[in-house]
Amino acid sequence: MSKQLGFLHNSEKCVGCRGCEMACKNEYQTDATPQWRKVFQLNEDAFSLPTRMFFSMACNHCAHPECLRVCPVEAYTKRDDGIVIHDPNRCIGCRLCTMACPYDRPQFNPAKKKVEKCNLCYQRIDKGEKPACVAACIPGALELVEINDSLDQKTGVLKTLPGLPSPKITTPSIRFIGPKQGKQIRRD
Amino acid sequence: MGDWEWPLILFTVLGQIAVGIILMLWWLDRSRDHLNTKLFKQGVNVSGILLALALLASLFHLGHPEAAYRALAHLGSSWLSREILLFLLTFLAWIYLFWQSRQQAISRILESGATPITTSEIAAGVQQTDNRSLGLGITSVLGLLGIASSAMIYVLPRVPAWNNVGPVLFFLLTTGLLGALCTLVLGTKLLQPVQKNLLLKWSLGCTILSLLLYVVYGSLLSGSAEGSLTLSFLLNSPLFWARALLGWLAPLLLLVSLLRNSQVEKPNLILIVTLLVCLGEVLGRALFYLSAVGIHINALF
Repeated sequence: MSKQLGFLHNSEKCVGCRGCEMACKNEYQTDATPQWRKVFQLNEDAFSLPTRMFFSMACNHCAHPECLRVCPVEAYTKRDDGIVIHDPNRCIGCRLCTMACPYDRPQFNPAKKKVEKCNLCYQRIDKGEKPACVAACIPGALELVEINDSLDQKTGVLKTLPGLPSPKITTPSIRFIGPKQGKQIRRD
Repeated sequence: MGDWEWPLILFTVLGQIAVGIILMLWWLDRSRDHLNTKLFKQGVNVSGILLALALLASLFHLGHPEAAYRALAHLGSSWLSREILLFLLTFLAWIYLFWQSRQQAISRILESGATPITTSEIAAGVQQTDNRSLGLGITSVLGLLGIASSAMIYVLPRVPAWNNVGPVLFFLLTTGLLGALCTLVLGTKLLQPVQKNLLLKWSLGCTILSLLLYVVYGSLLSGSAEGSLTLSFLLNSPLFWARALLGWLAPLLLLVSLLRNSQVEKPNLILIVTLLVCLGEVLGRALFYLSAVGIHINALF
């Protein structure tokens, strides 16, 4: 694997509009139940000051994907650019990957009786386009980036957020820019 | 929390009983000619039926059972692939055992004839016994490896309650316990008193070990937030207490009573213990799946 593509999510910019969720559903016309991408709101007391913060998460195309390790039918493959692709034609619906992923991102589709997940719009990337979710993000909170040491060394780039599973389990290819504390004024 | 995974409960428990019976037959056959031929045949037949039912039940867990053959594709890292391969090999070894059991049946017919036994017939009988022992050994080892692979499927970093040696030990203990009890039921009239005593002692040992292991396992669960949730679910579930009563406490008392009065034949009591332990193990396996709490995103949505 020569590089590792992933997402950079800027919580300062994200307004929780769920446009990324909708863009994903529109692009792939997925059934109602599985949500390849999902917007979460962090617990407000996760930081020292009350913070209203959202993050958007799809498959994290982990460096050490548990889904790929446990899948008995080799439905998962990892490309040279680090994208973890799930092939629904190979899937037999054993759901072991849904048990193994700490982010619950491979999801079982009860209608098709198979698992589905985000493939990072690899067909768009191959054409030089942005993934649908990134392209649709109005405030520009979601970016496609190359995960490497230089990114991790930048000030403000976080490997995880409060409430997320330890990145040691699968080494997810997502980075965050956390909220600036004390900036928000709330009138509840 | 997990779901009632009936196909998986049936697959694991039935498969473990099947392998357990073969394992016990192998153990009884360790000193040649001590294994009754009729018991060997019955044991092989019952274990084969259970193994076939187990494999059939496992298909119902899949979204697409018709493509189950593909599950052999990822032997390099998937324990599920390894499990399927080992169970299929166990089934192949069982077919050899079945053939052996038919041969033994034929030789028994010949032996019952009025004609005197020749040296070559004795040599053929010894060869058959050797083959039987080899077949039982191979099937047992493959079956045990299959069961260990079944357990390893659940050793997932995401699920702290499973990410330890617990699943492997629990699955192997079920094999030993139910294998011994079912062999006792099959061999009510065919086992020698010494063999019955050994199987009863083995069953008692497995029950005590199972109970002690569960206590240790439960005490270790509180080491993580997800493990604590599993423990809390177990302690608050009536199913767990039913499992403890039916699968551990009642069999423990009955097995001690059976061993104390081992001179008296009590086939009905052995049958009751076996049924209780079966029920306890099925409940235990259901709880295994129900109580699993995985590490997950702890946020609002």
